[in-house]
Amino acid sequence: MTKKVFSRFTLMMSIFILLTFVAFYFHVTNGIFDMSVRDVCKTILRINPNEKYDLVIFQFRLPRIVIAGLVGIGLGIAGTVIQGVTKNGLADPGILGINAGAGASIVIFMYFFQMSSITSTQSNFTSILMMPIFGFVGGALAATLIYLFSWRNGVLDMQRLILSGIAISSGFGALSLYISLKMNAQDYEMAAVWISGSIYNANWTFVSSMLPWIVIFGAIIYKKSPLLDYFQLEESTAKSLGIKVEKEKSILLLSSIGLVSACVSVSGGIGFIGLMAPHIAKQLVGIQHKYVLPMSAVIGMFLLIISDYIAKTVFAPSELSVGIVVSIIGIPYFLYLLVKLKV
Amino acid sequence: MQELIVDRAAIGYSNALIIEELSLSIPKNKITTIIGPNGCGKSTLLKAVARILKMKSGAVYLDGDAIHRLDTKEVAKKMAILPQTANAPGGLKVYELVSYGRFPHQKRIGSLKKEDYAAIDRAIEVTGLNEFKDRPIEALSGGQRQRVWIAMALAQETEILVLDEPTTYLDMAHQLDILLLLKRLNEEEGRTIIMVLHDLNHASRFSDYMIAMKDGELITEGSPEDVMTCSNLQQVFNIDASIVKCPFSENPICLSYQLS
Repeated sequence: MTKKVFSRFTLMMSIFILLTFVAFYFHVTNGIFDMSVRDVCKTILRINPNEKYDLVIFQFRLPRIVIAGLVGIGLGIAGTVIQGVTKNGLADPGILGINAGAGASIVIFMYFFQMSSITSTQSNFTSILMMPIFGFVGGALAATLIYLFSWRNGVLDMQRLILSGIAISSGFGALSLYISLKMNAQDYEMAAVWISGSIYNANWTFVSSMLPWIVIFGAIIYKKSPLLDYFQLEESTAKSLGIKVEKEKSILLLSSIGLVSACVSVSGGIGFIGLMAPHIAKQLVGIQHKYVLPMSAVIGMFLLIISDYIAKTVFAPSELSVGIVVSIIGIPYFLYLLVKLKV
Repeated sequence: MQELIVDRAAIGYSNALIIEELSLSIPKNKITTIIGPNGCGKSTLLKAVARILKMKSGAVYLDGDAIHRLDTKEVAKKMAILPQTANAPGGLKVYELVSYGRFPHQKRIGSLKKEDYAAIDRAIEVTGLNEFKDRPIEALSGGQRQRVWIAMALAQETEILVLDEPTTYLDMAHQLDILLLLKRLNEEEGRTIIMVLHDLNHASRFSDYMIAMKDGELITEGSPEDVMTCSNLQQVFNIDASIVKCPFSENPICLSYQLS
């Protein structure tokens, strides 16, 4: 039985990795400046390098695809954890206020450090490295507030967790808006685009600033993923099996806050990926989280790369925010789940 | 020989103390049943024993150690608990749920070793679930489901099994079926069984030791003959009971009763 699940898992993983390559192919060859596969391969393999191609591939398209992939992975994992821990199939990092908390603190960061000047010169490496940390502080602050409100009799009340998450989320959203209105025009425009979720100004510095977060927290969560199976039981059952429920839940939630903060710091608030990816994953590979988690990560990666490709091309030469594309796909899916799940 | 001792326990929720001070000891290798009216604190007591509810003061001792000072995983190797309402997530298979019982014995979460598989197979065998192994739990009947949860507790391989109303929601035949299974586990494997039952006749028929509670206090304890008396039932449940001998087990049972 386990073997059957495993082979199905391998198959589905292969399919989605393949799909990701297809999305990658479209993304890297299409755009304002179309390139053939041969040109792309030649450029990546350094055969007769050509400065123009180099610029397009290495400065624009590759970092953007890598960022999309990483953000997708991060949100896919975080969504799985948050749905697993809250036992609520409609939860996602956005609903929990982590997005908004991390977002608000990054807007504050932009306000004080004048981000437009930083990215335009691409020189201030440390500032960009600071962004996920700032995001983490904001995300953790939001999460702490949510925790405080939902802690009852020494246990985490999941209903309250979601309700206070919604409240905190709107609070931080308002804060972001307020601060962004006080910015100078250039910063404001950047913040506004960033808040709605976009990655078109990606560069390698962003990649290096978020990669360690994804790797470290992804590894911690993967190691703890079987615990998520136990959390689907009654809490009393998990406790009597000798699981330190509150401690493990906190580790898992904090790690997902870390992931989400890193994602938000480079891409702004992209919702729905964290909601959709785990559901699709569960339909494909069953309910065991050691399979669901990596599957959800790969699905998140695929969804975001393809969404970003759509965002880039559908109204070319002007671009949509990838967050908006994801929402356009995500909202009907959310409604579909709502009808189907009967929660 | 005492296995589980509750020492001057005060247990309650944030605003209400359900049990002010309660001490009792539960004998080893026996079936002990706690009886009492609704709201008397039986389930609260079990929750505290199961370390789901923190005690305000006092302690529960397991083999001489206070359980709140032991690592919760170590406690789980000695004592398995079956909660009153146990819901399994949709799609979970019988075998998977039973395998969850191995958690306290695993060094790395989710990796089953040879002895884990052996314990799971044994638990499934004992509870007669072999043919249902690969079925999703929601496809089983109430009685079978209760067996699955007992199998999970058995896979935990503990000396003590604690069950909160294991026969609720089952029809008469399945109630007896579960109790006979518990009796067998007690007799053949020497497991200590502690449970809460509402059916006094079942309690009397299957227990070696009975504890009667009311308003968070211990009223009386002892063998079924000692506890199942007219005056005790009057005091604990406010009923006038007509007590006769069970034709099957010779234990006192309540033939019928009226409110006093």
